[in-house]
Amino acid sequence: MSTSSVTGSTKPATAHPQKRARSLGVARNLGLVVALVLLCVVGLVTAGDRFASTNNVITVLSLASAIGVVAIGMTFVITGGGIDLSVGAIVALASVWASTTGTQAMAENVGWIVIVTTAIAVGIACGVINGVLIAYGKIVPFIATLAMLASARGLAEILADRKTQIIRDQGFRDALGARPFGVPVIVFLFALVVIAGWFLLNRTTFGRRTFAVGGNTEAARLAGIKVQRHTVYLYALLGATCGLAAVMLMSRTQTGSSTHGLMWELDAIAAVVIGGTLLSGGRGTVVGTLLGVLIFTTLTNVFTLNNLSTSVQAVAKGVIIVVAVLLQQRLANRTT
Amino acid sequence: MSTTTPRRRLLAIGGAFASAALVLSACTNSSDDDGGDNAANAGAADNAESGETVRIGFSAPAADHGWMAAITDAALEQADAFDDVELIHAEGTNDVNLQISQVETFINDKVDAIVLLPFDGAAMTDVATRAMEAGIPVINVDREFDSPFAARTTVLGDNYGMGVSAGTYICEQADGDTGAVVAEIAGIDSLPLTQDRSRGFKDALADCGLKVSNRVAAEFTVETGERAAANLLQAAPKIDFLWNHDDDQGVGVMAAIENAGRDEFVMVGGAGSANVMRSIEADDTVLKATVIYPSTQGADGIKLARLIAQGRSMSDLAEVEVPRVVQLAAPTVTKENVDQYMDSAFES
Amino acid sequence: MSEPLLQLTGIVKTFPGVRALDGVDLTLRAGEVHCLLGQNGAGKSTLIKVLSGAHAVDEGEIRLDGEPVSFGDPQAALDAGIATIYQELDLVDGLSVADNIFLGHEKTRLGFARVADTRRAARELLTSLGHPEIRPAREIGSLSAAGKQIVSVARALSRRARLIVMDEPSAVLDPDEVEGLFRVIEGLRASGKAILYISHRLEEIRRIGDRLTVLKDGRTVAADLSARDTPTSELVALMTGREVSAEFPRRTEPVPEAPPLLVVDGLGRDGEFEDVSFSVRPGEIVGLAGLVGAGRSEIVETVYGARRAHRGSVTVDGRALRRGSVDAAVAAGLGLCPEERKSQGLVLDEVVSRNISLASLTRFSRLGATRDAAERAAAHEAARSVDVRPDDPDRVTRTLSGGNQQKVVLARWLLRSCRVLLLDEPTRGVDVGARSEIYALIRSLADDGLAVVVVSSDIDEVLGLSDRVLVVADGRVVHAAASDSLDAHAVLDLILATHEAADDHTAAHDPKGDAA
Repeated sequence: MSTSSVTGSTKPATAHPQKRARSLGVARNLGLVVALVLLCVVGLVTAGDRFASTNNVITVLSLASAIGVVAIGMTFVITGGGIDLSVGAIVALASVWASTTGTQAMAENVGWIVIVTTAIAVGIACGVINGVLIAYGKIVPFIATLAMLASARGLAEILADRKTQIIRDQGFRDALGARPFGVPVIVFLFALVVIAGWFLLNRTTFGRRTFAVGGNTEAARLAGIKVQRHTVYLYALLGATCGLAAVMLMSRTQTGSSTHGLMWELDAIAAVVIGGTLLSGGRGTVVGTLLGVLIFTTLTNVFTLNNLSTSVQAVAKGVIIVVAVLLQQRLANRTT
Repeated sequence: MSTTTPRRRLLAIGGAFASAALVLSACTNSSDDDGGDNAANAGAADNAESGETVRIGFSAPAADHGWMAAITDAALEQADAFDDVELIHAEGTNDVNLQISQVETFINDKVDAIVLLPFDGAAMTDVATRAMEAGIPVINVDREFDSPFAARTTVLGDNYGMGVSAGTYICEQADGDTGAVVAEIAGIDSLPLTQDRSRGFKDALADCGLKVSNRVAAEFTVETGERAAANLLQAAPKIDFLWNHDDDQGVGVMAAIENAGRDEFVMVGGAGSANVMRSIEADDTVLKATVIYPSTQGADGIKLARLIAQGRSMSDLAEVEVPRVVQLAAPTVTKENVDQYMDSAFES
Repeated sequence: MSEPLLQLTGIVKTFPGVRALDGVDLTLRAGEVHCLLGQNGAGKSTLIKVLSGAHAVDEGEIRLDGEPVSFGDPQAALDAGIATIYQELDLVDGLSVADNIFLGHEKTRLGFARVADTRRAARELLTSLGHPEIRPAREIGSLSAAGKQIVSVARALSRRARLIVMDEPSAVLDPDEVEGLFRVIEGLRASGKAILYISHRLEEIRRIGDRLTVLKDGRTVAADLSARDTPTSELVALMTGREVSAEFPRRTEPVPEAPPLLVVDGLGRDGEFEDVSFSVRPGEIVGLAGLVGAGRSEIVETVYGARRAHRGSVTVDGRALRRGSVDAAVAAGLGLCPEERKSQGLVLDEVVSRNISLASLTRFSRLGATRDAAERAAAHEAARSVDVRPDDPDRVTRTLSGGNQQKVVLARWLLRSCRVLLLDEPTRGVDVGARSEIYALIRSLADDGLAVVVVSSDIDEVLGLSDRVLVVADGRVVHAAASDSLDAHAVLDLILATHEAADDHTAAHDPKGDAA
């Protein structure tokens, strides 16, 4: 742009682009909202009351909770310019570790909180290892987390001896199985994570640094941001969400298993990317990720209500990814 | 078959199982006791005698769920129990290419026999045929090859029979009520074994005028079982009977049922895990029965491979050669007969 | 003069909301070096993309050899004999020199690469350009910027280009290398090629150009001027629309008794520089002069902690900084405006205000939560104090001109209240008109009590801007003096003297030593 001298009142000059930026954000999510509404319309038309019932809505939200929490964590890592392929494996390891007889025995003495703490601590530990390997070991995220994917699931299998571990701790089952106002606790937890995630990304210095690190790592470093430490924090945060997801899964299935979270890395990345977060970093949206997760979960629900096979679902999922991303690009281009 | 009543068919299947168990001796037990003093062992005395030492290659998919782990464990235990078997155990894999190369290594090593539980039967047919052409007998376990020339002997569970047993049990319980709502939670839908189970289930239900009104597929894991069941329970607000193909994913299915607070139906399991059997015994959930898919097939494969490699016959058969096909039965386990099957159940 | 090779008339190109080209006329003849002048944003880049077929024009006419043509895509432009050498050279680092030259029109037989033929043809092209020392089998990634440029020219020739467009080719070269490039360009001119040469540097245009065209705001404001004889003041006036009087601001005396704010003592890094010591008082501007590769950027980056010092110390206000720690340096009051503004200085897709507040986030947060309104207002004020134009804190930084982007980085450190400012090539990619503004700004910052260190390849810039100058050659400070006591010739002599003295040493030492 030429440097023609802009003088006079600054009010109009500042108000306009801000409005533009906001409508851009809305436009980016608009495609997703349209997709979700369309899915709901299909659900209503084909399954009627079975789809619209409170129970069904709660089921969809419950099913979205665990993978949703992971996807929110993934949004941070991807916005910060990284990727994590090990989330599913971390979920499995956290669930197994937190449901070993040793942990359960301790929970009996101390309380169910031991199980929750263990799961989240295991998640954070895995995340910290990922982060340290990437930030200080200078291993590309793809490779470092690929290694974690293999070894975390392997360790989970060893710990569990490839058996499904039943959670017998009644305190845990009661606490996380509770249904205040008829809604399961894990749905509340999911909502909490979404709100906290949105706030953390958009309204804190942590979020601001995440955008900067993902947008231009070198510029962030030279501006005095501790990029390496921040990278570790990002992966640790994702690890923590994986631990929480493991808790949610343990509550829903009442088991810990090395088969929990298979292929979740792809589901989470898909939800984040159709949500509008740039895979190359520097731009991310928690609301978009939430919509992405809801779209996938609702899709499965509507298909099951209509008794359609998983193969058809898989095809529809692929089509939705492409259509949602194309739609976003169209709408975003129109507003610029 | 179509003229037999369900009850008679069930009896016939039970009988078949009993005879198979007799013929194949107490395969899971032979390793864990020293003497071997029951009737089955005595009958197989000839075969139990040591022969020339043979090298047997064993390859199976990754032991990523209880049943598969039990298959591998039982096979290894069985091989250990023989002092004339040297087992070469390839690490379990779900990668077809890797499994092919494992078999190729066996061929190059000139093992005396190969026991192969393919991840995908069709994909392993070619390499198994090559092994046979190289003069190495291949014992095909559980998932069948495409070609009859690819295996010397095939040990099969009865997937179709599982569906039949589950369907027959449900028909009995429905007792003529053709309006009953039947739901089905299948395993990985793309596998032929899942298709066989569903076909058997459908055929048996059709016998008494029932049909599957809701069907979902999970992926043999707890988490996917829970997800599929949660959605299924919303799709069908009232269910009378539910068959779940696999007891591993069944843990998740049971959790979903509990989460949804549903108890209006009778559930039948599949495969026969120890958890499920204990639950049937306790009779405190919707789970009233399960149909067995024996986890002893690998061990049977090792036994047959040893005989074939040593050029011996099965001592309880008049036939000189080891049979081409051994198909194991899929009996229904209920509270009444659960004691009988508890020992052969696998821990998941 | 002969029939024009290429004639553009009334070219218009619009993008949503912007009229990037608004009536451009340009006439190019075979055997001439035609220079294109214009500020950032005047439309030079868009015009280059029109010529290379990357953009289709909305209005206007392009005639090649008198025949109207239109380039639908880059291939069409290449087929018509127009090759473009972009500023960010579009070479594939992992391929060999020869493969790069013939990329896209490989020499093959039945689908198989003819390696020997390719190499021979590449060697012939490079020899014809006077650079037989660049081996065709060498990997591109291992060449210097100058070497890569030669390869790009060879690539253009391999396409039988008749017009070669060069976008700021000298920006990444040091003076020696620029001379080498000019020899190549003169050879091309003599062989009848047309060259469109784009540069900010007037002295280069006078040295190499035949005629020139000036763009301003997407229009041709002057065409067919003589590149050698048109007075500088006239050119600057054409580009900026105003007369430029004094380029450098007048010096003010730093307070002599003030203790030094920044003290660098015996700083060294293996293979880069050794034994660098200097100090800067508040209000003082110290310049580091030297050639590219002499170690100047390495020195300031080490002072800043972006590179870990192997020896020596950096002290700010009496307190020593932790080695290799940028955040310790920033906490102590240092700020760096890095050489590569776009890749090192700015988050380009982020808005101006957030780029400015990047180093001061904690100041605008309470318990980790940002106070957006306060942050934006303070960033806006900082932007205004350095006169970022347009005056819009919500603008995406990518859309600003080079000079204004530089001001954004400066504003960042003002907002942070930094006390020592390290400026690496502060006017690189900044057009002439905006440069004097930057100079004035830097001087006023010094007058406010900041200690400033300036690095530049432009010796006149260092001399004009600084109070004291350190001459850096071959990783060592070879001379330090008040800038009044030196002139450009003296500095060059000092540098060249070191080079001659340590010629062998340089070859083994200089990491960028394979220059043409």
